[in-house]
Amino acid sequence: MQPAASPAALDPCNRCSSPVEHGDLRCAVCGLTTPVVESRTSAEKIEFLRCDGCGAAVSYDVKAQAPKCSFCDSVMHVESPEDPAEEAGAYLPFQIDSQAATEGMRAWLGTLGFFRPKDLQTSATVGELKPLWWVGWVFDAEVLVSWAADSEVGSRRSRWAPHAGQQHVHFQRILVPASRGLSLDECTAISGGYQLATQGPPPQPQPGTLIERFDVQRSAARKAIADTLTRAATAQAKDWVPGSRMRKLKVAVLPKRLSSDRLGFPAYVLAYRYHGKLYRAVVNGQDASLVVGNAPYSIGRIAAVIGLIAAIIAIILLLSTR
Amino acid sequence: MSAISEFSCESCGSLVQVEAHLRTAACPYCASPAVIERPLEAGRPAPLFVLGFVVPHERALAEARRWIRRRWFVPEALRKAKVESIRGIYVPSYLFSAAADASYTAQIGENYTETYTTTNSKGQTVTRTRTRTEWRSLSGRYAAYVSDIVVTASRGISNHELEGVEPFDLRALHRYTPRLLSGWIAEEASLPAEQCRELAVSESMTEIQRRVAAHLPGDKQRNLQVQAHLNDIEQELLLVPVYVLPVRYGDDEVVRILVNGQTAKVHSKLPRSWTKITVIIILVVILAAIGGYLATRS
Ligand SMILES: [Zn+2]
Ligand SMILES: [Zn+2]
Repeated sequence: MQPAASPAALDPCNRCSSPVEHGDLRCAVCGLTTPVVESRTSAEKIEFLRCDGCGAAVSYDVKAQAPKCSFCDSVMHVESPEDPAEEAGAYLPFQIDSQAATEGMRAWLGTLGFFRPKDLQTSATVGELKPLWWVGWVFDAEVLVSWAADSEVGSRRSRWAPHAGQQHVHFQRILVPASRGLSLDECTAISGGYQLATQGPPPQPQPGTLIERFDVQRSAARKAIADTLTRAATAQAKDWVPGSRMRKLKVAVLPKRLSSDRLGFPAYVLAYRYHGKLYRAVVNGQDASLVVGNAPYSIGRIAAVIGLIAAIIAIILLLSTR
Repeated sequence: MSAISEFSCESCGSLVQVEAHLRTAACPYCASPAVIERPLEAGRPAPLFVLGFVVPHERALAEARRWIRRRWFVPEALRKAKVESIRGIYVPSYLFSAAADASYTAQIGENYTETYTTTNSKGQTVTRTRTRTEWRSLSGRYAAYVSDIVVTASRGISNHELEGVEPFDLRALHRYTPRLLSGWIAEEASLPAEQCRELAVSESMTEIQRRVAAHLPGDKQRNLQVQAHLNDIEQELLLVPVYVLPVRYGDDEVVRILVNGQTAKVHSKLPRSWTKITVIIILVVILAAIGGYLATRS
């Protein structure tokens, strides 16, 4: 294994200018080969592979997927494609304390609407409050987006007419959650309020504070980023399709300078109790107004509305049959 | 440059000859494997990447046997032929990538429903609906990377044959090292790089055409014309793992079956038995005749 601390940064990709990481054989964005570090052999030479253990000749073994000695079963090391586990490079600091987070959650309970219990905000008892850093990527890319779609503009007998176009977009600071503890929806709901400029070194581990680790390898990370890039381009392209109705929107992307950072994002996870049942809310650790979570519904209020609607329908029916 | 290299075996000292188109050899006396590193001056490109064998010999053999048994239209002698010898060969190929910039024009079909009146079997006038297509022209641009094109660099295996066992899993790419070849046969690139590049360009064009077709909106499409330019082209030599099985049958006839050494996908261009096909056509005709006869009677 190579030591984790990587030496000098590598030159960016010659074709798409995206950063290349140590251990990459090809550019993950465009497929261009990375430069070979060691020089290639220039003289004819014959190599016999000898087992380090017993000195017998060694052949490539299918099951080990490496050269293996058939006498003593020892396997020789070959340089395999590197796919290391990802680690967060920087962390955003907490900018609100636990009290502000609790208040933020209470304020949020008051905004959930008519179908929630009337006393939810006052009767909820806040239990455990856990600070944590969840992990994710933030990427930048200059992308040439080609799109095609049907819309109502220019349509004749059919409701649809085809349209196509191509535009440059500079995506900046697009967040891709990688959290295992929080759901994708939870992360997305609170991700708007983070100040990405406040990056700092890894926090000191403290009891009760969870620092999430990336649970993915580099290849999976790149796939997640590529998928998000296509989704972001599709969302952007919706603005370019003329008209108000559209269907069959497709995009193709040609990214350049696609670079990503691995970050830790602060959040509070709160458990609260209402009439004996436990619910969970997540508060952005930098902005108490961004809260997401689950909350009880008021059965009484929902039943009242259904009853009311049923009564109205009954009255209408009664009047119409007269 | 002589066609044959010689080396003396390190294990038993005997003089072993290696054909110029191979990169590896085994001593015929003691079976010690050896790998030959040829100089770049020989005019042959050095491999940059290798995909290692994942499928063991026995499984490749079993897959090939199963595959051939399921082929109905091949001569019976071939289906019953014994498949015994099997060799794993590192086949030279080029891994090709480029940035594609394309413009296209096409006719896009947009469906609509139309109501019309007609008379039914009882002579009454009825209103019905039918789906019709309105054709609109669309032109646009398409830009993307093509990065996983693999074409043969071997005179022994045609690009068509290699396509038959593709795709290879490029995530398992290794930087070339002779260690991965030890004990296996590795062939040198024997096709000129320019010829392979032409193959790769044409494969890329097909790929872009396919992608643009999938990109277009509408319910139908026709007359798709794609003009593509490939920029920043790169091709690097890659050794891919392929099992080759020559199958002997009948009066000394031979066909060749290929098995992907990574995925066990089987391919071969097998001869058809015209006797079998004729028999089946006759059977179908007889059945159709009986069916028609029964239908008219009822
Ligand atoms: Zn690149
Ligand atoms: Zn020997």
